[in-house]
Amino acid sequence: MASSDWLDIRGWTESIVGWSMDLVYDILPSNDIGLGPLGTLNIQNEFGSIQGALETFIFTTIMCTVVFGTMMITLMVVPYIERKFIARLMDRLGATTTLRSLWIGEGHTTAGQWWNQLPFGIGAIVGWVVKTLNSVAGNESKHIAVDRVHNRGYHGIWFLFPGFFQALADFLKFATKEHIVPAKADRVVFETAPVIIIATTVMVYAFVPFGPHIWAANPELSLVFMMAVFGVAPLGVFFAGWSSNNKYTLIGGMRSAAQLTAYEIPLLVSVLAIAVISGSFNILEIVDFQIETSNTWNIFIMPLGAALFLITMIAEVERIPFDMPEAEAELVEGWWTEYGGIRWGLMFAVEMMRAYAACILFALFFLGGWQLPFEDTLVGLPFVGGIFEMLATATPGVAILLAKAYLMFAFFVWIRASLHRIRTDQILEFGWRWLLPASIVNLAVAILLRLEVWNSTAAGGWPIWAAPVLFGAFIVAFIVLAIDEDEEALELNRRMYHTQTLEKASPGTHRD
Amino acid sequence: MNDRQEYNTGHPHATPNFRNLIIRPMWITMKTALRTVPFLGRLGILKNNYHGKQVNLKDDFTLSRIGDNHLSEGHTYSADRESTDLLPFLERPVTVMYPYERLEDMEPWLFVPGNYNGRIGIVWETCTACKACVRACPNDCLHMTSEVRVNVLDTAEEGDEWHGYGSEFETGGYAAKPREDFEEIEEFDLVNEHSAVPQQYDFAEVIDISGDTATVRWMDGSGIEEIGTSELKPAETDIVSGRIDMGRCMFCGLCAEACPFESFFMTNEYDGMSGYSRDDLWFDADRTRVLPAVHQERVDMELAKRAKKEKTKREKKAAKAAKEAEA
Repeated sequence: MASSDWLDIRGWTESIVGWSMDLVYDILPSNDIGLGPLGTLNIQNEFGSIQGALETFIFTTIMCTVVFGTMMITLMVVPYIERKFIARLMDRLGATTTLRSLWIGEGHTTAGQWWNQLPFGIGAIVGWVVKTLNSVAGNESKHIAVDRVHNRGYHGIWFLFPGFFQALADFLKFATKEHIVPAKADRVVFETAPVIIIATTVMVYAFVPFGPHIWAANPELSLVFMMAVFGVAPLGVFFAGWSSNNKYTLIGGMRSAAQLTAYEIPLLVSVLAIAVISGSFNILEIVDFQIETSNTWNIFIMPLGAALFLITMIAEVERIPFDMPEAEAELVEGWWTEYGGIRWGLMFAVEMMRAYAACILFALFFLGGWQLPFEDTLVGLPFVGGIFEMLATATPGVAILLAKAYLMFAFFVWIRASLHRIRTDQILEFGWRWLLPASIVNLAVAILLRLEVWNSTAAGGWPIWAAPVLFGAFIVAFIVLAIDEDEEALELNRRMYHTQTLEKASPGTHRD
Repeated sequence: MNDRQEYNTGHPHATPNFRNLIIRPMWITMKTALRTVPFLGRLGILKNNYHGKQVNLKDDFTLSRIGDNHLSEGHTYSADRESTDLLPFLERPVTVMYPYERLEDMEPWLFVPGNYNGRIGIVWETCTACKACVRACPNDCLHMTSEVRVNVLDTAEEGDEWHGYGSEFETGGYAAKPREDFEEIEEFDLVNEHSAVPQQYDFAEVIDISGDTATVRWMDGSGIEEIGTSELKPAETDIVSGRIDMGRCMFCGLCAEACPFESFFMTNEYDGMSGYSRDDLWFDADRTRVLPAVHQERVDMELAKRAKKEKTKREKKAAKAAKEAEA
């Protein structure tokens, strides 16, 4: 493990567990206890024989708890990003409405004198600011209803980020709801399906490192193990869709199974390309390859692979534009229509967790994990290099990784706000005719790079031209695709819609 | 022709290519988000350059269809609501407060397409009560009662101001003969009389007209009779009441298709179809108005059509009379 971090949670936990176990060993009685015909028992020796296994068990349990807790706490940011960013993308400004309501109330009155609760006497200053804002940028609307809507987000507790703890409130609500199984559902499978989905999703995080020293398990083939576990959930989705005995859930489950074949293979092939170029099936070593060995993030040497991984991961976590299994416009809620209460709530959380895992994996595989962007270059700069070095040393890896993951999730939200849901036959055609050949090309490029440009026997990192040339070629291809204009249509320059229908748009116009 | 021709509606924005499906939507949403950022939101590249400017929706194709008289004539896009550099999102339209504001007032380029099936609009002036729409309606939401009646103009006696302006007898039309036993409705005791309401006329369908005599079929079933036209008055079907139960309407537009006189429309209006009770959704003639311009155009069109028809009929009649006079 070449990369390191001052936030050495594994090391700290290991030493604390080891120290306390040694302490237990020391305070145990060291004398032999006679047990008559059974011989003698030395408790200290007996404890010593299992101490190693016990230490490992306790240490692993603590690390699992730490990783799970980190995941659950940082997960709350994900729906917050989703709601607030999509509001801006779609011009529905929730948070700013709330922000504005801090100083705007109905009919030019402010929304309660909340600044009086502020400590250290700053309430007077803040109150003056608020009143000034209300007079300068106040609500000039004539409609009392508009004021009321602008004011609705404020609940008197401004220091909770508006809407941040909504997920917690939702969870509490779902937890108290009744559990209903449809009368004609296949009860055993109906109850098993959420367990499969939720359990396998949480299992994924066992292999996801949050930092160089924050991870629960690190088997040799953690990448393979994780992708295998990641791919189990669609099976649970199919179970849920089938067992609910509802046409919407059935169609949703079938769609899930159908699109599974289209994206899972390109996903695994593009993951395989990562393994090939890194020379390892271990996630930590893949990150170390980018930080230590190649000195370049994988996105710059495999831009096509990054695009493929992104697209197939969006399909894997069933987000727009690949959310056909739960297309709420056609199927009520798709495969989870019949679920309610805490099962629905947990499956919603699981959907977020899967998207979150996809973002973290993208950051690990392609964005250099817990390395600051262009860290080596910035540290090597004259004069200011020391500042960046200090920054890189002081910032814990988990913060950098999660910042990258949240940025990726914002990208997911951006895609969700912009693109439309595609049809079943379109995703099948896209998957088989485009994604699969492209992923095989990507794999071939990775093999070529591994064998010819960089191999383990050669000294140093990549040749200086490798990353810019590959990335530049990808950008050029992207631009060529992006300026795809229909010249003929541009010449005609006709409008899409008629602005006004004076000709009746129906057969049988009875003209003489 | 290439492959994309089959999808192509003719407009560059409607061509399903990578630019239109991926790049453009993503740029538009990002632009929308960036406009809410302080200071950055005021950049020119993020602006939609239509606020406060003259509306120009006319292109060659539109002009060839409807001529110069376009609805967007003289209209201006609403001013941008952004107020400050620091907080550019402040006065941005957050939500359209629909009953008080309307989307097409605030963002006029988001017009409702003309072929949208919205509220039913009827030009009652040109309606002939043929009930084709009522028969076409699959949900039974159209209700129309019509009667054969004698027009007021046709009852004018000689010496009255409006005498001679009434309609003429025509084959396939209706005629009425005044009853001798008719007593005025005011004298009829509606409460105590146990008989039908007195009728002023006996009505008949006109089968044939030859000179001053007409062959009529009495509508009370008393058979066919030849009778002098001086005893008769011309009659016609009139709408007594026409109502629409909007609560049952599914906006299929079959009624508009069925109308042979172009007086029945699905307008592109989405407003004014709500109420606090089911009774509020019963639309009478008053609530089926269409845009005044459209209304006037339709009335003119239908009147021109009828005038043309009448003109050809009279020309034929005159030619026939001239021929007879020659003979």
